[in-house]
Amino acid sequence: MDIIINHSENKTLIALNGRLDTTNAEQFQKDISPLMEGDKLQIEIDCSGMEYTSSQGLRIFLMLQKSVTAHGGSLVLKNMNSRVKEVFDITGFSNIIKII
Amino acid sequence: MYKKFNPITGKCGEIVEEIMQSPEVLPLNDTTRFKIRLCAEEAIENIISYAYGRNDGFIEVNSCISDDNFVLSLKDGGMPFNPLGRKDPDINKPLEEREVGGLGIFICKRMMDDVRYTYKDGCNILTMSIRN
Repeated sequence: MDIIINHSENKTLIALNGRLDTTNAEQFQKDISPLMEGDKLQIEIDCSGMEYTSSQGLRIFLMLQKSVTAHGGSLVLKNMNSRVKEVFDITGFSNIIKII
Repeated sequence: MYKKFNPITGKCGEIVEEIMQSPEVLPLNDTTRFKIRLCAEEAIENIISYAYGRNDGFIEVNSCISDDNFVLSLKDGGMPFNPLGRKDPDINKPLEEREVGGLGIFICKRMMDDVRYTYKDGCNILTMSIRN
């Protein structure tokens, strides 16, 4: 999976491409760990290229949401395909993470 | 397909990929293959992480098509454990109380049409099926 992170003034834009699974979840967590420190970050993740996520991926989105909430920031996941969205829906993650 | 994997530590991705490339799975539609990949990963990762404690062990993979259903059976020789005996996670908990533990098998139950567990001859056998 590829991850592209762009910081602008007060927004962080992330684009994910490929499958987020047991083989790369640890790396993804490392890649985004600096974002778990920042105060009041506004993070937008473009999921249009994300083909797949397992619970390994969900775990990291949950950690990110918890840290963003604790630091007064915001997190939005955008353009998720319907199959990935179903994984968020059946696990109740759609209720705790903003998806547009 | 039938294949026995041993050792299994760190091999989840490889085992899932073998299942996805098997002649039973390749012709199935995209949504069914997505669900098979997801549930295979969840179930195999659970076996690798918990079945053998600190030791390594084997997973036997059996898959077939039966009456338009794809059937995947995973067998391990680890500690007896019925994953279907666990209580489902409460998916309506607020953010601060949510945890990811226990989600894997819950995803399998929701995504597959049928999930069964048996313990036989010293082995855990998890069988999942889905209609294409």
